[in-house]
Amino acid sequence: MRSPARRTSWALALSATLFLTACGGGDEGGEGKSSDDPIVVGISLPLTGDFSEPGKGVQEGYEAWAKITNDKGGLLGGRKIELKILDDQSNADRVVADYEQLIGSDQVDLVVGPFSTRLVVPSARVAQEYGMLFVEPAGAAAEVFNQGFKNLFYAAPAVADDHYNHLAEYLLALPADKKPKTVAYAAMDDPFAQGTAYGLKKKLEAGGVKTVVNEVYPPNTTDFGSIAAKIAAAKPDMVVGGSQYQDGVNLIVALQQLNYQPKLAAFSTAPTSPEFAKAIGNKTEGILSPTGYSQDAPYPSNKEFVEKFTAQFGKAPEEDQANGYTTGQVVAAAVEAAGCAEQGECQQKLIDWLHGNKVETVVGPLSWDATGKPQGAHMIQQWVGNDIKIVLPADAKEAELIYPKPAW
Amino acid sequence: MPSGALLFQSIILGLLLGGLYALLAAGLTLYFGIMRVVMIAHSAFLILAAYLAWWTHSRLGIDPLLSMVVTVPLFFGAGVLLQRGLLSRLRPATLTMMSVLITFAIALCIEGLLGYAFSGTQRRIQLGYGTASFDLFGARVAVVKLIAFGLATVSLAALYLLMKRTQFGWALRATIQHRDAARLVGIDTERTAGFGFGLGLATAAIGGTALALDTTIYPSLHWHWIGPLMAIIVVGGLGSVAGAAAAALLLGLAQSLLQIPMGATWAQTVFYVALFATLAVRPQGFFGGRLAQRF
Repeated sequence: MRSPARRTSWALALSATLFLTACGGGDEGGEGKSSDDPIVVGISLPLTGDFSEPGKGVQEGYEAWAKITNDKGGLLGGRKIELKILDDQSNADRVVADYEQLIGSDQVDLVVGPFSTRLVVPSARVAQEYGMLFVEPAGAAAEVFNQGFKNLFYAAPAVADDHYNHLAEYLLALPADKKPKTVAYAAMDDPFAQGTAYGLKKKLEAGGVKTVVNEVYPPNTTDFGSIAAKIAAAKPDMVVGGSQYQDGVNLIVALQQLNYQPKLAAFSTAPTSPEFAKAIGNKTEGILSPTGYSQDAPYPSNKEFVEKFTAQFGKAPEEDQANGYTTGQVVAAAVEAAGCAEQGECQQKLIDWLHGNKVETVVGPLSWDATGKPQGAHMIQQWVGNDIKIVLPADAKEAELIYPKPAW
Repeated sequence: MPSGALLFQSIILGLLLGGLYALLAAGLTLYFGIMRVVMIAHSAFLILAAYLAWWTHSRLGIDPLLSMVVTVPLFFGAGVLLQRGLLSRLRPATLTMMSVLITFAIALCIEGLLGYAFSGTQRRIQLGYGTASFDLFGARVAVVKLIAFGLATVSLAALYLLMKRTQFGWALRATIQHRDAARLVGIDTERTAGFGFGLGLATAAIGGTALALDTTIYPSLHWHWIGPLMAIIVVGGLGSVAGAAAAALLLGLAQSLLQIPMGATWAQTVFYVALFATLAVRPQGFFGGRLAQRF
């Protein structure tokens, strides 16, 4: 009997301490700011659970943004950025409670988004109720933009359907005798992966390019022999994979085992992973992939980001880190332009400014439509030799797109 | 109507896939035969062996097949220890049910440790001959798939000979058929069961290596495998290695061929349709497996 009682008293003591700390935090965030007060940015992230890997990546991006900005003297003439990060355990109920707490009781000055559509939608709703600006790093599915949010901005170049826009433009502009005539699509049954492939499919079909195979496979598929056989038998000029990682790699290898040589091969996600070349060696030749972020992209702030991020974390940033950082850049641009960062009327000024302006970021210039959907497209990279290079759009390219692609 | 070439290619792919399924399922049916143990962790051990093969190749630079020199004895030993230390201590009355729980826990432990040791990054062995293939009457046969099939054939044949021709095999089969009777004629059933369990886990070492040759692996991959493998051993008749092999070939072929008209999503359901059909029509399994009649 003694031990449970003792445990209870410990729990009481602990919660009392937490309560006091929370109140203390609340006081600091209250009214009457001087120019030295930090700007507190509230964030809930999936640091444990399903999305913990990307969640931690985004966290590093936010931390890099706060550090780099503070090292340069902060925002609004000297106010430092202070991040207040909570763990939502990848849980949609938890994320709502987190933002309620951040905005309502902690009185943070700004909020930015968590990772992935499943968490972005409920948390954007909370931010909307409080009239807060909500810039988010990772809610790219269509359902984010058809909820009628007026305060949401997706801080990346494009939603899934628009990833291949540059490639579609390039292919449709080719002379008729060079244009690919037939295409095979294989996409994972997943809104993001399918979105990328079907976005391209829609545009190519509208341009008169025929679809000869259209396969959808469940996420747990591990054997791609039969899908590859179907594609190889149809002998299309081009193959497009709406893939995540293992499915893309397995499908590429299965196609190669069947000796199928397309003129063009485009796969989402997998080819941009650092693990890709380690997995299939020199069999990467000519594979295309859309990417939202490249360490080599020539945008002005990117060089600084890669350098300082590498110094801070001992590794180069990937897409998740870049998305977090971009979110910070977007918010900072709005804060500097509107000249304020606090709850209340200021938030509407920030929202209005972002609706009307373009922001320079590490992923290029971003602007948004009324639903918060970014207006850009992803860069297209191609494996050339043993390296992946940006080939589209023309203003960011490091190499010419090779078409028809060399044999793999 | 699919072309003849596609049909032939799919049959080749289906048979190769079925052979791999047979190897992966062999251990599972042995455990059940010997001990009435439902071994949820079998596919986790497969992935563990696959990771060891990948590690051998990427760290030591030698062919992943050579990792079996270490993993097969290692897994055999682990199997014996697992059976003697954990599973044989379960109460016979609740053995089947409790074995599900305990091996589920083991599967979670292996998955967690793999994630801890090798991170969640998805890996693939980069082989010089990974995409090599040759022509067989117009169809392509991938070398790695053929090696996996070869490994399956050799190990299943060896297993069959071991069961039929050696004294240990007789003892093991006697233990499977009737434990009390086996004990009456002087067989040390406890010891035999331990070795039998080790044998099952040794097949997992070979199966995992075969799997690693042509698959991208990650710690939670085993959950995708355990369902189809369980379906195979039920259709084959629980406890029958030959039955499991026949069921594996048939289901692999069916999956591959059904994919042409139905697509990948529906083709996968063939395992579960076969499972339900077996349980409804012929619960003792379609191939051999008199054993399951008693349950």
